[in-house]
Amino acid sequence: MSSDPEKMMSKADKMTKLTLTRWSADWRGATELYEQAANGFRASSKYERAKVALEKASQGQVMQSSPWDAAKHMESAAALAQKLSIWDEVADFYRKASELYVECGRAQPASDALGKAARALEEVKPEDAIQLYTDACEILEEDGRDQMAFDLYRACASVYIKLEKFTDAATFFLRLGVAADKCDATNSQCKAYLSAIIVYLYGHDLKQAEKCYNDCSQIDAFLKSDQNRTASRLLTAYNEGDIEEIKKVACSSTVSNLDHAIIKLARKLPTGDVTAVQMNAGDDLDEDDLT
Amino acid sequence: MTVIDILTRVDTICKKYDKYDVDKQRESNISGDDAFARLYGAFETQIETALEKAEIVTKEKNRASAVAMNAEIRRTKARLSEEVPKLQRLALKRVKGLTTEELAARNDLVLALPARIEAIPDGTAGGPKSTSAWAPSTTSRPDIKFDSDGRFDDDYFQESHESSQFRQEFEMRKIKQASGDQGLDMISEGLDALKNMASDMNEELDRQVPLMDEIDSKVDRATSDLKNTNVRLKDTVNQLRSSRNFCIDIVLLCIVLGIAAYLYNVLK
Repeated sequence: MSSDPEKMMSKADKMTKLTLTRWSADWRGATELYEQAANGFRASSKYERAKVALEKASQGQVMQSSPWDAAKHMESAAALAQKLSIWDEVADFYRKASELYVECGRAQPASDALGKAARALEEVKPEDAIQLYTDACEILEEDGRDQMAFDLYRACASVYIKLEKFTDAATFFLRLGVAADKCDATNSQCKAYLSAIIVYLYGHDLKQAEKCYNDCSQIDAFLKSDQNRTASRLLTAYNEGDIEEIKKVACSSTVSNLDHAIIKLARKLPTGDVTAVQMNAGDDLDEDDLT
Repeated sequence: MTVIDILTRVDTICKKYDKYDVDKQRESNISGDDAFARLYGAFETQIETALEKAEIVTKEKNRASAVAMNAEIRRTKARLSEEVPKLQRLALKRVKGLTTEELAARNDLVLALPARIEAIPDGTAGGPKSTSAWAPSTTSRPDIKFDSDGRFDDDYFQESHESSQFRQEFEMRKIKQASGDQGLDMISEGLDALKNMASDMNEELDRQVPLMDEIDSKVDRATSDLKNTNVRLKDTVNQLRSSRNFCIDIVLLCIVLGIAAYLYNVLK
């Protein structure tokens, strides 16, 4: 058995090519060789070759109808691609790994794989990251494990906030609310609604925030919660143009229990406006007129 | 002639004479050349889908998903309202083959659009349940009457000795209470933090319950498999070690040694 990974790779390649003397590819032996070659490359820090070896090993496992091992190899290949910063391949490999996990019928590792991909791509390609997060959430929801999806929703919303797309971020918080409602996680649900209202307010959208608040007030769990009171205080403070009150609400303990990103937005809240909010006296001034 | 034959013949005839169908040609021509008509058509379809969604919302029993759908409807409305100015600009452009009346009609259509967009119900018609419990009540009550009927002369506001003493006591008590209040504030903050941590822990534990159940069943299966294997292994080993096989082994070994000793003797 040669210990040189290159030799192992070429040997394994030969085993899988069909020629006149070889009528059926020997995937089992080839896969073993590929795995050993990958280990050898990793030990000698040749990550590019190791990645290729892992890809081929994964394919071998697929040929042998063991999707679990194939998925594991794909994930390792994706991790190496991440180290080498080849972002397209990262997304591709993780997606393939996720599909293989779904084939095994294991939804949790599938969505974990997509989550890892999204986290890796957050800085570099946020739109792709958002797509990956959404897919991961869908996989979990199909399987009925909504509670695991909370973290993914939160991460996705924070990516949207970084991209300054506030309506989309708020929509995601509302989806978190739906998922929380399904599993009776009232605390998370109320926190999600309060976060959505704060995001709308930060986006200078007082009308949307009020509409959102009205919608959420029809949900019993939210109505009886602390978050409801905080939201109503915040909205009345906005309507009366009371900056001190806004700041006090933003520093209250209810807001401090939300996500970090939301806390940062809340602390900046009144200064996000152009000038003070006008009094909602019911005359010609539009509610949305913030000048 | 069968029905199918009749149908095919009718189809071919229609196709042949399609080019003489004036209305159809005009329609297809218009949508081909006219960006306004295309955009307007797109608008219409979006408004329709939003209205359908609004209908679904009214029938929706699950409050949370109703909220999410309302948010989506509002997003669509916002996007449509943004596009309306673009449509207006297109409406004012002159297109060949268009009469002045049609141009005016188009303008009217565009002006009617914002109203239609606003009319799409998005769940804001139902106001919030009463939260006035928390808001300070600002209405003045007409039933409260003052006693003195307006005779506010000097004596009325003169401070007497007792009243100034009361005032001093009141100030002292207020200061003491302020420091007490601070303590209470700190306690309340601590309690809030505890409450939030406790609810988060609650949810986390709820999340882990089904996982523990899965682990439980998997480990049960693994133990029963192991027990099964152990029993079978014991049986196999016992069979191998049974005394009959042992004696046969010893007897054969003695015979082999005897033969070896005999050969040794013979060859010496």
